Amino acid sequence: MLSHILKLIWKKKKSNFLMMLEIFVSFLILFAVWSLSVYTYRNYANPTGLSVDRVWTVYLNFNTENDTLRQQYRELVSRHLKSVPEVEHYSFTSSNMPFGFSSSNGEFSYEGKAVLSEVMFVGDDYPAVMGMSFGPGRWFQPNDTIGGIVPIVITQCLATALFGNEEPVGKIIKEEESTKKVVGVAPYFRHKSSYQSVGNCAFQPLSKWDTDLLLKVSASATADFEARLARSIEQLGKDWTVEVQHMDDMRDTQDNTIEIPILILFVICAFLVFNVGLGMFGVLFQNISRRKGEIGLRRAIGATERQIQFYFIGETVVIAGFGLVLGVFFAVQLPLLRVFDVAAGVYLWGIALALVSVLLISVLCAFYPSMQAARIYPAEALHEE
Amino acid sequence: MLSLQNIEKIYRTDTIETLALQNINLEVAKGEFLSIMGPSGCGKSTLLNIMGLLDAPTGGAVSFENEALTGFSDKKLSQFRNQKIGFIFQSYHLINDLPVLDNVELPLLYRNVSGSERRRLAQEALEKVGLSNRMKHYPSQLSGGQKQRVAIARAIVGRPHLILADEPTGNLDSAMGNEIMEILEQLNRDDQTTIVMVTHDENMAKRTHRLVRLFDGSLVSSNSFYNA
Ligand SMILES: Nc1ncnc2c1ncn2[C@@H]1O[C@H](COP(=O)(O)OP(=O)(O)OP(=O)(O)O)[C@@H](O)[C@H]1O
Ligand SMILES: [Mg+2]
Repeated sequence: MLSHILKLIWKKKKSNFLMMLEIFVSFLILFAVWSLSVYTYRNYANPTGLSVDRVWTVYLNFNTENDTLRQQYRELVSRHLKSVPEVEHYSFTSSNMPFGFSSSNGEFSYEGKAVLSEVMFVGDDYPAVMGMSFGPGRWFQPNDTIGGIVPIVITQCLATALFGNEEPVGKIIKEEESTKKVVGVAPYFRHKSSYQSVGNCAFQPLSKWDTDLLLKVSASATADFEARLARSIEQLGKDWTVEVQHMDDMRDTQDNTIEIPILILFVICAFLVFNVGLGMFGVLFQNISRRKGEIGLRRAIGATERQIQFYFIGETVVIAGFGLVLGVFFAVQLPLLRVFDVAAGVYLWGIALALVSVLLISVLCAFYPSMQAARIYPAEALHEE
Repeated sequence: MLSLQNIEKIYRTDTIETLALQNINLEVAKGEFLSIMGPSGCGKSTLLNIMGLLDAPTGGAVSFENEALTGFSDKKLSQFRNQKIGFIFQSYHLINDLPVLDNVELPLLYRNVSGSERRRLAQEALEKVGLSNRMKHYPSQLSGGQKQRVAIARAIVGRPHLILADEPTGNLDSAMGNEIMEILEQLNRDDQTTIVMVTHDENMAKRTHRLVRLFDGSLVSSNSFYNA
């Protein structure tokens, strides 16, 4: 039966070509969307390595350019926060805190390898504030800085990029202006959004200009407390400005910037696929009404209604199959040529899901017209020609 | 072999009812070559379709080889058509996108027959109608008479017991028509295939065993010729 279908399709290749092309294009679109979905989901499924629960960001502006003053003010705020029972932990931070809008990158070199990474300047209590999970090693302590060495904590991803399988804790990274020593490793720290891939991040002790603040507050901290706290900090100095944001809101904002484009893409894709389906539906109907005589004949020589229906579904699936083979050929080039830095598994899932979707759509679109074909009255169909 | 009892066929549409056949009683004996004549629109094709199980009568009963076929499922009827009946039409009904050999193989696709066996049987059938040298041709490359011979080959490839031919020579000139008639006669004589043929041509009808005349949906006369 297959060779029979193939012969008929080949003979009508011109009219079938368009359908094949539509299937091919639909496949590529679905492949892209599915791959993106799988990629995004896989990232999402990774541990975040941090917790935004009850974490508040305090944007603090001391309104001074004087570094000495700034450090004194920081001390002042620290002392004040220690007296507030609702503040469980706090840490100053550079302005590129998790889920914020700024980013600061530095280059780390080790044995000829240079790796770019986010660098955050944070306080000693930072892991407690961010609820960080911890790998080998520990967080840096005040006396780590003795001897001009800068202690750093890095994510596992960065450790692997720099040192491969070697033990990262204790490694020294020599740079022009400073020498850094790895004291600890955080297995994960996905700080850009819930959908960020596992990436590089490094933490080092505060520099003199870092004045933003992160707080871990207790469950009893209310909105009222938030306003009081902001005011009480403002009153510590002159012309200070204080703005408080909840980190879960910040994360949601970042997530939205990823979710919304994907959602729009989904809608566009659904619309395209719907149109392709509708087109196939129409073409099949036209095909079937043009081939009434053939259907009548097939019925006369012994095809059952079911066989007629399956025959037309089969024809559609075979035509779709050609489009899909072509599509898969192009799709596998992405992992083969390593066009993007994405795991091959993502593409394979993308291909599999796109294949299933296209076949499902084809069968669904072919089902009703084929059923109509099966219901054609053979005596009438034979009469018409 | 085929028996029609009190057959009635009414075509109903939303607005009109057409009585296409009424009170038809007809027995076709095994090995018989029967012809049916009558003016256009009298119900000849309708009768043939009912005999061929392509259409169900609105009244009466059909039995085929002593088996009553009323209430049979689509599957069972299709199987019957596939194995016991061969159809020949005035307009050939060949699939233009398939070469001759594939057209002839078609009925075997709906049976459990291997590809090589299909090929062999189709070649054999084409030999019988004298078209072995046209197997790779497409229908559009054949003359009307050749097309009808392909259709006959397709009708006989499954070795049916009964061949139903609806004006098989209607589109052909008399020489070609004669050729077709000779093939049918030969099938009837050599293979004892029962044939029912609708025709407009008295001369063709006279070459069969028996002629029944249809007028306005009813059988009006039956002549037997003793050509056999
Ligand atoms: N599907 C149908 N719906 C309604 N009426 C029909 C249908 N098929 C046939 N008829 C009517 O039934 C009658 C018999 O038609 P049929 O085709 O059997 O005639 P026929 O004897 O074969 O004619 P012809 O010699 O022209 O082929 C005609 O009056 C026709 O109009
Ligand atoms: Mg007719």
